Amino acid sequence: MRIDINGSAVEVPEAWQEARLLWLLREHLGLVGTRFGCGVGACGSCTVHVDGVAQRSCLLPVAGLEGRQVTTIEGLAADDGTLHPVQQAWVEESVPQCGYCQAGQIMSAAALLRSHPDPEPDQVDQAMAGNLCRCGTYARIRRAIRRAAEASR
Amino acid sequence: MNMRRRDFLRGLGITATGLTAVVTLPGCSSMLPPLPTFGGPDGDPGLAWLRLDPEGRLRLVSPRQEIGQGIGSSLRAIVAEELGVDAAQVELSLHRTDEIASVGSTVGSQSILDYARPLALAAACLREELITRAAARLDVGRAEVRLDREGARGGDRNLSWKALADGEGLVLDADHAVDVPLRTFATGPKSSIGRSLPTDRIRDVVTGGALFAGDVRVEGMLHGGVARPSKLRSELVAFDADAARAVPGVVAVALLDDAPGVVAETPMALERGLAALACSWRTPEEVTQDAIDAAMDVDADEGGLEHEIRGDRVQQDGPWTVDLRVDVPMAAHLCMEPKCAVADVREDRANVWMGTQDAFYVRDAVRKALGLATERVVVHSQRLGGGFGSGSLWWPAVEAALLSRAAGRPVKVTWSRSECFQRGYHRPPSTHRLRVRVGEDGRIQDWQHRFKSGHVIFTSAALPGWLQKATSLIGDFGVARGADPPYSAARTHVEFSDVRIPVDTGPWRGLGAAPNHFAVESAVDEAARATGRDPVAFRIANLEDPRLVRVLERVAKLAGWKEGDSTRGRGVACGIYKKMSYAAVVADVELDAKDGSFRVSRLFCAHDCGLVVNPDQVRAQIEGNLVWGLGMVMSERLGVAGGRIDADAPGAYRVPTLGDVPDIDIELVEVEGDPPTGAGETAIVGAAAVTNALAGRVGRPLTQLPIRRGMLRAST
Repeated sequence: MRIDINGSAVEVPEAWQEARLLWLLREHLGLVGTRFGCGVGACGSCTVHVDGVAQRSCLLPVAGLEGRQVTTIEGLAADDGTLHPVQQAWVEESVPQCGYCQAGQIMSAAALLRSHPDPEPDQVDQAMAGNLCRCGTYARIRRAIRRAAEASR
Repeated sequence: MNMRRRDFLRGLGITATGLTAVVTLPGCSSMLPPLPTFGGPDGDPGLAWLRLDPEGRLRLVSPRQEIGQGIGSSLRAIVAEELGVDAAQVELSLHRTDEIASVGSTVGSQSILDYARPLALAAACLREELITRAAARLDVGRAEVRLDREGARGGDRNLSWKALADGEGLVLDADHAVDVPLRTFATGPKSSIGRSLPTDRIRDVVTGGALFAGDVRVEGMLHGGVARPSKLRSELVAFDADAARAVPGVVAVALLDDAPGVVAETPMALERGLAALACSWRTPEEVTQDAIDAAMDVDADEGGLEHEIRGDRVQQDGPWTVDLRVDVPMAAHLCMEPKCAVADVREDRANVWMGTQDAFYVRDAVRKALGLATERVVVHSQRLGGGFGSGSLWWPAVEAALLSRAAGRPVKVTWSRSECFQRGYHRPPSTHRLRVRVGEDGRIQDWQHRFKSGHVIFTSAALPGWLQKATSLIGDFGVARGADPPYSAARTHVEFSDVRIPVDTGPWRGLGAAPNHFAVESAVDEAARATGRDPVAFRIANLEDPRLVRVLERVAKLAGWKEGDSTRGRGVACGIYKKMSYAAVVADVELDAKDGSFRVSRLFCAHDCGLVVNPDQVRAQIEGNLVWGLGMVMSERLGVAGGRIDADAPGAYRVPTLGDVPDIDIELVEVEGDPPTGAGETAIVGAAAVTNALAGRVGRPLTQLPIRRGMLRAST
């Protein structure tokens, strides 16, 4: 079976077809940016895009992803290394502390702005509610999303 | 008796350089468990942290761990200040235990306090040595040489950094130790100190680079895990090793100390292998919440408690202005990174990769478990996805090491989130009884605070039974933190007992500061309310410490505090953290009296931690601590049910999310000439600002955490 990951067709060996996407990404493909936080979809650290929509990769069976387009944090920046506006905003607002949850935060934020380029505060709260940050960088996340939204206009 | 940490550590035979008396007794050292590294650096250890490499690059091996507090950028700024370069030119790496001498745990906001000076000194020594070298090469006097981002210049000639390195670089030794003025601590404008730098490796963070132990790849690495009982305090009865070995992809099965472990080629095979073990367990005595609550009940003990912090005899006769019971539950760390370690164990050496607050402690634990000499084990520090006191937990490293030995290959152990809850240690619960008497003049006459808490420093998680008994003689200083009130009462009596409970408890952010400041600030606020006084003015009238008064005044100004605000949804709290840093917090809350729900709409904080090396990182720590305070008050509670910890996933243990956190206004208070202290946990003293705001609205104190709707609903 094949999955499109970050624009490349990836062949999935049989032993990995029963896995959740998170482990395929991390342990088979070495794409370590998608992080393991809880394994039950309750923290958001493992957030990826499937056909542009934010999903928790720890819950996604690989078997169901044939023919779908998966984007991970590693695939967000442009090929020449130019950061996605959300990544750029994250740097400018100095958002991360320990950094563990941040790839998931960025992926959720990027998906939000893709569907709602100018989100209301309530929409931001709701879209980001499933991305926990124990270091407490939320105030900066909020500012960075605003900044990215403005930069994209 | 005053609680003095160093005194009782000495009593245990533990000093900054390690164990003393106990180790010299024959046969004793093997009895000792691995212990964390205490204390600041001795001598001139900084000389080993910093060097110029043969290519002319400045390399700093960080003596401190990166746990999200961004200490690395502050350390780079200090080096940059002394050398006159940009902080970006200082390349920082996290230490391996064979690169530098043992350093203390990265805990307690001690890093700047303990490490700024030795690091600045090392950088200054490097500067002086390079000036000497440049002077010789440029054929000018030393006084004419200047170092900057490009290299050295003297007269009208210059040398690049690469040329200065001269193909060899420069490593410092004791001969280079000189006594020179340190720019870092001088008054006047600075080039790097006081500038905001983002956390190290921020680009890797936002692009998903390899940063954490789980991202490490060692050739031939396998996945390991250990079987867990469903109930706490259980003993292994039986397991089916053959069934586990028969699972495709399982490479090894081994009995570790108290449970069997499995090593497999993929995480999926590991999970199946662990299930195939079909372990059975026995639970001689089930852990119950009732038993914990009974042990923790401070009111059940009318007599004196074990340890005294302040010993005045308070007036017992006459009514009290305040008589409060405060209950703070057990709490989880819930670091976003579940505990993880990679170990590669060979015949005579071992390498371990782990995010940790104390790599030398991990080394000690692993070498004891493997029976190897210290120098045969190397721990490679990784970035830690959240510490908050949990980063001293080394069990996954030992599990990975033992499984690697059994499998003959490198093994990665990643704890599940459930294991972090069931197997980790937690903030202990505590109960407090506070009685305050205020005179007619608004001055506090009597202050009595009795409390019981589970252990913090003397955690059962790290200490064997016999050492736990020994430490019962000495008050747990982690438990005591924050209980000595800053308010000047005529008579102050503070005492506590630290109680052993059948759940592993240990350091949590701020240690005792979180529950104790909450208790103190609830009591003083109630004293103000009961005597009809403004809570800011009441505090100031009873304080002598000018720095605490100053942050209170500043936060009041920042928030635009007015008389009567405390009945309109505004609360205040303040405190001195570890006698070194000061914070005052104002919280605005909106309460729906009908259904008892509330939200915090704004937070203000004035914060004084002396000279600020990196303002943005200090702000980040303040924000983080305010969010922890929110969590404490709004939702965080860990308990025991069915003989196990009552949470296995983040949904069952609720921490703040984006929508819970308001805009935060911060003022950093700095006075020129004040030395730097530490920022890490200070703002957590402000958790009570939220409950004080709510208490002001409902007209009664709120002292059972977390605050539930039922407590706030208007009575019908």
